[in-house]
Amino acid sequence: MVSISLYMGCLFSQGFFVIVFAVYFPPRQDAKEPIGVCPVSNVLEVENLNVEFNMDGKYYHAVRDVSFYIEPGEVLGLVGESGCGKSVTSLALVRLLTKTARISGSVRYNGRDLLTLSDSQMRQIRGDEISMIFQEPMTSLNPVYKIGSQISETLLLHRNISAREAFAQSVEMLKKVGIPRPDDIMDEYPHQLSGGMRQRIMIAIAMACNPQLLIADEPTTALDVTIQAQILELMKGIGSEFGTSTLLITHDLGVVAEMCNRVAVMYAGEVVEQGKVDDIFYNPQHPYTRGLLNAIPKIDAESKSRLQPIEGNVPSITRMPRACRFAPRCVHVMDRCKVEPPPLFETDDEHVARCWLNEVKEA
Amino acid sequence: MIGYTIRRILQAIPTLLGVTVISFFLMHIVPGNPVRILLGNRYTPERAALLSKQLGLNKPVWVQYFVWLGNILHGNFGYSYVYNKPVVSLILQALPHTLIIVVVAVMLAHIFAVFLGSVQAYFENSPFDQIVTVINYFFYAMPAFWLGILLIIFFAIDIPLFPSGGITNPTVTHPSFGDFAIHLVLPVVTLMLISVAGWARFMRSSMREALLQDYVRTARMKGAREFRIIFVHALRNSILPLITLLGLSLPGLLAGALFVEEIFNYPGMGLLYWNALNDRDFPILLAVTVFLGIVTVIGNLLADLIYSLVDPRIQYR
Repeated sequence: MVSISLYMGCLFSQGFFVIVFAVYFPPRQDAKEPIGVCPVSNVLEVENLNVEFNMDGKYYHAVRDVSFYIEPGEVLGLVGESGCGKSVTSLALVRLLTKTARISGSVRYNGRDLLTLSDSQMRQIRGDEISMIFQEPMTSLNPVYKIGSQISETLLLHRNISAREAFAQSVEMLKKVGIPRPDDIMDEYPHQLSGGMRQRIMIAIAMACNPQLLIADEPTTALDVTIQAQILELMKGIGSEFGTSTLLITHDLGVVAEMCNRVAVMYAGEVVEQGKVDDIFYNPQHPYTRGLLNAIPKIDAESKSRLQPIEGNVPSITRMPRACRFAPRCVHVMDRCKVEPPPLFETDDEHVARCWLNEVKEA
Repeated sequence: MIGYTIRRILQAIPTLLGVTVISFFLMHIVPGNPVRILLGNRYTPERAALLSKQLGLNKPVWVQYFVWLGNILHGNFGYSYVYNKPVVSLILQALPHTLIIVVVAVMLAHIFAVFLGSVQAYFENSPFDQIVTVINYFFYAMPAFWLGILLIIFFAIDIPLFPSGGITNPTVTHPSFGDFAIHLVLPVVTLMLISVAGWARFMRSSMREALLQDYVRTARMKGAREFRIIFVHALRNSILPLITLLGLSLPGLLAGALFVEEIFNYPGMGLLYWNALNDRDFPILLAVTVFLGIVTVIGNLLADLIYSLVDPRIQYR
């Protein structure tokens, strides 16, 4: 009797295994959907993007009603403190969040809504049309494969070319990202390279298929200052050479000033201010943006003047203020801020701020 | 790498000496006198004294040890008391049979464990994962001899698919390859099932960790398919601990084969050892123990060398 149940158990588990496998690895759909010819000029249009995470059975917003757009060839900076939802936003755009995240809103890439595509359609876009580089160059490369195979992998996944051609193109990419001795480096492993070199390799991987949109998630945060400048210079050069639009995520306003055309400032999962770089730096409208700018050390400041930190902490995701999320830390806080969430007010041409103070100005 | 290998082999010498000391003295502590067993009902004190003298068993134990050690250093492992044949030739006769079950079982177990563990990790906490986990624990907790008997009852007696023991059909004078193969099935399956379970657990946790790494996210970003992500990007990283485990489990598997061979009456090292143990056939017991010691050392060394092949970050000088 025991032996029979044992046998049935084996059979059952095997059958189950086959079914599960077939469901999760469906046959490849090679047919590429024709890209709808839409008269849109923006590469990326994000509208009311919401990301919620399930914690103990309740959903909490990590990102709420985020909207922005990126024009061809433009660099948009996404700025904010750690934990404000910058990275979650970027991962949501390319659908790399875990399945427990609930994403809503629309992410239109060249007129196609990325959130409604099938997994295999999304795979064809990733690495080919939209690429991403990450914060941690030390761990983002696979330690057990050679640099050459990691770069040519992207090409082999998206282009119908031979391994030999992919290798040749990878060497070209390495030259473009300023790697010395590219032929030797192709045969080396990630652990043999420095952090800056690895980030160059990541850029080479991201740019291998000449994507239209590059998402750079704090690409220089883990690097030395001198290397940071080199990498930023490289990204700038490569971006204009390839005509790539870039979403640059950073907490470093210096990087923003150096790289970006426009900026979106995020606080606690919301975009609180958005506009051209000059407007944001010289005419900030949201108290949080002003606070951020005041917290930067200035070289021409008097030696005795102190930095002005923003008082208080970022609210935790489970205990968000109901109305304006910045209200508890705001120096201009009014009664209204605590009951009514402010919408985005247009303060200037292409300049919006999520603060009741701007309504007063409008009127 | 060659220098490293030589150094490791030299380091193994004191270990192996320790193995000889412990096994020799343990063997002599075990109750049961070989002379008595050998003589059986022909036993008389005079004959016993004579046989003891012939076998060298009348000397003090430590003298016996050094005599034996001197002999094995000259490659002489002595003669079996029972079979009256050189021990080395007995071992060489039995070894291929054991190697074939152990190697086939290890290979199959590894393939199954890697595959099951990986898929389990990918579908973590899914019904599939939970069912496989339960089945795994079921086999993990099961002793080899009991599983072997169950398999015989079910697949050799209830449903006579496979022979219940031996290496070939005794009624056939010139056995075919298929005949050999079909006799391998039940012992190999027994040995495999009990090792798959533990290894799959290892693989699951190792793969789970690998799937959370940044390079997996990079692979997804490149647009790689999930299958490729698991079995190309994560697998080669997560298989590393399993290689160490393989090296360590090699002697354990040879020892595990002892019960399996005894149950399936399979004339390999295990059965040789088992019979020698019942007969107190010291030369065989000692030779097999020393042999297992050598296998342990080689298994560890092999694991370390394979490790450096899989992980480029590890280099031995």
